[in-house]
Amino acid sequence: MFQPLLSKRIAVTTPEAEPAGLDPQPEPIAALLEGVIEVAPPILHEFPAGTEIALAVRDVSAYYGGFQALDRISLDIPRNKVTALIGPSGCGKSTLLRCFNRMNDLIPTARVSGSIGFGEMDVQDPNVDAVAVRRRIGMVFQKPNPFPKSIYDNVAFGARINGFRGDMDRLVEDALRRAALWDEVNDDLRKNGLSLSGGQQQRLCIARAIAIQPEIILMDEPASALDPIATLKIEDLMRELAEDYTIVVVTHNMQQAARVSDYTAFLLAGEERTGRLVEFGVTSEIFTTPRDQRTEDYITGRYG
Amino acid sequence: MSGAQLAAPASGWRPRLRLRKTISRAFLFGCLLAVAAGLVLLAALVIDISLDGAGRLFGGPNSGGLPKGWLAPAIPIALLAPIMLGRYLPAGALGPLVGTALARALRRIGAVSLILPWLLIVVWAVYLLLDSRFLGRFASPDPEVAGVYAALIGTFYMMAITAALAFPLGVGAAIYLEEYARQNWFARFIQVNISNLAGVPSIVYGLLGLQLFVRVMELERSVLAGALTMALLVMPIIVVSAQESLRAVPPSMREAAYAVGATRWQVIRHHVLPYAFGGMLTGNILAMSRAIGETAPLIMVGAVAFIAFLPESPTDPFTAMPIQIFNWVRKPQEGFQEIAAAGIVLLLLILLVMNSVAIILRQRTRTRW
Repeated sequence: MFQPLLSKRIAVTTPEAEPAGLDPQPEPIAALLEGVIEVAPPILHEFPAGTEIALAVRDVSAYYGGFQALDRISLDIPRNKVTALIGPSGCGKSTLLRCFNRMNDLIPTARVSGSIGFGEMDVQDPNVDAVAVRRRIGMVFQKPNPFPKSIYDNVAFGARINGFRGDMDRLVEDALRRAALWDEVNDDLRKNGLSLSGGQQQRLCIARAIAIQPEIILMDEPASALDPIATLKIEDLMRELAEDYTIVVVTHNMQQAARVSDYTAFLLAGEERTGRLVEFGVTSEIFTTPRDQRTEDYITGRYG
Repeated sequence: MSGAQLAAPASGWRPRLRLRKTISRAFLFGCLLAVAAGLVLLAALVIDISLDGAGRLFGGPNSGGLPKGWLAPAIPIALLAPIMLGRYLPAGALGPLVGTALARALRRIGAVSLILPWLLIVVWAVYLLLDSRFLGRFASPDPEVAGVYAALIGTFYMMAITAALAFPLGVGAAIYLEEYARQNWFARFIQVNISNLAGVPSIVYGLLGLQLFVRVMELERSVLAGALTMALLVMPIIVVSAQESLRAVPPSMREAAYAVGATRWQVIRHHVLPYAFGGMLTGNILAMSRAIGETAPLIMVGAVAFIAFLPESPTDPFTAMPIQIFNWVRKPQEGFQEIAAAGIVLLLLILLVMNSVAIILRQRTRTRW
């Protein structure tokens, strides 16, 4: 399994070493690679019949300009579970996550192919409105990014712009309670969101995501900017939220993936930095009995 | 012990610490020198003009003007002395008293003495200004009774129209360029041209205004023609500064708003604009303070130099401060030199106020992300 990756390295260096003049029409490197690397098909997980699938990812490739960031990712993300995306830096796991709620639309050069089934709709269908998708698939970012407004307005904003007609105070309180932040901030909801600590800010961002009552919450390394105690709180929160929401979390921290997730997808990028899915399965199996050599190398710490 | 470690650098390294520090100090000295030169020049300019003009500007109706020139040395002394006193004396000169109640009391007095003269000067200057013969009178062939009234009102009138035209247009253009336009060659082309327009000599705008507004649109020598020309002049500056304040809003704020299902306009309306507005306003005020001193375009557009009435509608002829000053400076009588200087001091005061407002706004609206 590991051999093809190494042989590719040789294949890349050989044509470059030759003087350009000798070869009248040097083949493009990508074309060369196409023949040399046999991309091992990913090891997928067979869900038992009747499992509810929240997101059905099929052949998703992503490009930034001429650079391919993801190559034909296919996997099923089960409903009301925590699914972790792990892999070394630059393997495309954040890119994949941002395909799920069309955040890549905001990058002018980004292009995504393939389909992501979400209920009746295909998230990536250009006819599907990205705003409507994001209303149902919320997101929490790597760095806490509360609005420089009051705690109340931070949580209420999403509901307001989406035309929420109910009791706003109730909604804000519920969201803050669910995000385990209510007890720490209920004495003054007019306080600026930026005045909170890093961990509190991140829970405020989670409350903000919950407040629009989405079906799926995407989390992009939500604890990477936090200290261990704040990290634990966020992890507990993820477990609790999984009862009502489907959670997809990108993480660098393998212990975190092992602690918090039910399913794990391992992505890896080759020399050309295009991310591919290596293995997807039940977290406990991925971390104890990985079926792919590369997964084992990664979780035992042999890759960066 | 650590000294021993420091003394013996590994072989193969030449730290040359002394040389590097000497170079560093030399540059520090050079930069300080540049600042000092700038300050001396500025002080010379202000003092020179104040010597001529302050007496007329602040002259009361019955006093016949303050003794010429006394204000010039008085202002810097009055401002600097309490700063020195309040800042350095109690802390430094009271050596053994540092930390005692007495020293603290002295410091507090120092702090008060720092603010008090400023307040006194401002109150006194405003009183003298309002009482002044200079401020409330129209232009006259006799320098003793000539005033700046028509020019002052004309300037405010024109600036108000300019701001009302240029701010919405400039901010709108900036929003489009930053938030909507795709980053292709056309957007870059527009961007480069806007930056270049900000550097076009103002007389060129004057020529454009003369042809377009005065002749083609037949606005004649009116406030509106002047204001339109000025709006053209300041618009690139407003666009560029508004773009900068939009760019200062972190992308993470936009992402956060998009992620809860906001449309592009909702992101701009609820987040980008409010966070950037302080910066935009600051840029606008700074652009206006450039326009308020512009003379060349107004000469081209034909602001009238001698006028004994106020413009009542935007299509009336008008004059403005720089034109009035320019006209006075050209005259041979010595009395006009004095009121020209007084006009300059007044213009500088207006500029000072505008820039102070801009700075205060910037401080108050700054968000630490």
